Amino acid sequence: MKIKKDEVGWLLLFIAPTLILFTLFFILPILFLLASSFTNWDGIDAEFVGFENYIKLFNKKSFVRAITNNLYWCITAALITVPLGLIIALLLSHRSRGWKVFRTVLFVPQVVSSAAIAMLWAAVFNAEYGLLNFILDNIGLSDYKNHNWLGNVRTANAALIGFSLCYVGYFMVIMLAKTASISEDYYDAAKIDGASQIQKDFYITAPLIKSTFFLCIILAVIFNLRQFEYVYLMTAGGPANKTQVLVVYIWNELTVQRLGRGSAAGVIMIALGAMLLLLLRRILKSETYN
Amino acid sequence: MTNDNSLNFYSIFKWVIIISFVVYAVFPFLWLVLASLKTNAELLDNPFKLPKVFQFQNYSNAIQEAGLIQLIINSLVISTCATFLNILFASMCAFAIARHIFWWKNVLFLMITAGILVPLNALIIPYYAIINFLNLYDTRFGLILVYCAVGLPVSTFILTEFFKGIPKEIEEASYLDGCNFVARYFRIMLPLALPGLATAGTFQFILCWNEFIYAMLLTSSTEIRTIQFGISYFTNEFFSDYVGMFAAVVVSILPSITVFILFQERVITGLTAGSVKG
Repeated sequence: MKIKKDEVGWLLLFIAPTLILFTLFFILPILFLLASSFTNWDGIDAEFVGFENYIKLFNKKSFVRAITNNLYWCITAALITVPLGLIIALLLSHRSRGWKVFRTVLFVPQVVSSAAIAMLWAAVFNAEYGLLNFILDNIGLSDYKNHNWLGNVRTANAALIGFSLCYVGYFMVIMLAKTASISEDYYDAAKIDGASQIQKDFYITAPLIKSTFFLCIILAVIFNLRQFEYVYLMTAGGPANKTQVLVVYIWNELTVQRLGRGSAAGVIMIALGAMLLLLLRRILKSETYN
Repeated sequence: MTNDNSLNFYSIFKWVIIISFVVYAVFPFLWLVLASLKTNAELLDNPFKLPKVFQFQNYSNAIQEAGLIQLIINSLVISTCATFLNILFASMCAFAIARHIFWWKNVLFLMITAGILVPLNALIIPYYAIINFLNLYDTRFGLILVYCAVGLPVSTFILTEFFKGIPKEIEEASYLDGCNFVARYFRIMLPLALPGLATAGTFQFILCWNEFIYAMLLTSSTEIRTIQFGISYFTNEFFSDYVGMFAAVVVSILPSITVFILFQERVITGLTAGSVKG
């Protein structure tokens, strides 16, 4: 609708709150982050130090470990969690009896806060009373009796990443929703040709929800880059920085008031996110057109 | 049919996969509930055995010990206010973008929705500085403002798409009848857009309710602490009273699960809407 002259004021007034908040909490913080990353700001004083923060960060083992771990999380999610989600979505797309119940149940971890999930799984991994050790002990793997999964250098990362598979339901639901839009005609045609269920799933359904599958991979990468709660609450980046991730690293810099350094880490994180997104777009785009 | 055997094999495979993931997703919750009804000695003895007597007093202890009622009320107040403001602002902006022609509207829409892709947790240091600068550190309003703002890109996106899908005729008729800008928004757009508002609102509310890092960053006093931030104190507060801690975690999870079970479809569309269309 064209705007009448006397309504321009209203139009601006309607956009203003969103625009002001967006400027205040998106544009300004990013500029601020960039600016302070070149200083040695400690909450009180700030002096320009050039690229010193960046150089120091990349020479820190724990920071490089944080980046590697974040990539590790992203890759696991893209290569394991999302494909598993696809398989379950394909299986539930048959819409056999009770599929809605399974969909709902698998979605539960997404609804519960990550803080509560972190507490829950910390209890599962606990050395003294944990569920996991008890099960292992009972099936004869008593080597793991009293094994501290999250406190051990060798198992901490594996435990964290293993537990993250419980989020498979989110991606499954997104892909499952997409299968509802596939026309029955394809399946009828396949039936006449004598296709088995497994063939229908992999040759009809899967290719038709490809774009949603790629979308899920992008989402998974974004989520895992910004993830904080699990690591912070379950291991706090330990033992020996083994499970460190970027946001926990930034948090730690903040608590010791090394704000310039923390800002530099934030800039690197945003740049990394942008690079991953561009990279994924390029890979997935060429895939789609082939 | 020759396919029968493979079909059987496939459906066995199917149920094994589905059931094992259901167990993976839900079993820890059930175990937690069971454990929260035991004594500490029973928990350490055998995690699976049913307790001799169900220890319901674990719950009353936990609720008192952790001040759970206060935490839940705080979360409820903060999430409700933030959701209300967020949906009000986002729908106003979406109405302007979806229903009017002005030369910079595409730039505006693109800029705001690009915000969805920013990994906001990288910005904790500037957020901390800005909230301190505005003198809003450790206030409910500070947290409400941040929650409202961080959800704006997704809400504006969902609502703009939704508004675009509503037929223009009613609005145009009212426009010719002399209905002004504000009246068209309140009297015509909002009532027609209720399902869209509900979807965006659900997404926003769950986002606020489950939020952890900003609550930890921007508040410190116990009076305004939210439930999610409160959870991180459980390990200290309950020290070696594991069952008490479990009961507290169960109570903190209950509101989310109850709402989810009551409004399944709405919650599922709400939580996946922002992504499916993008």
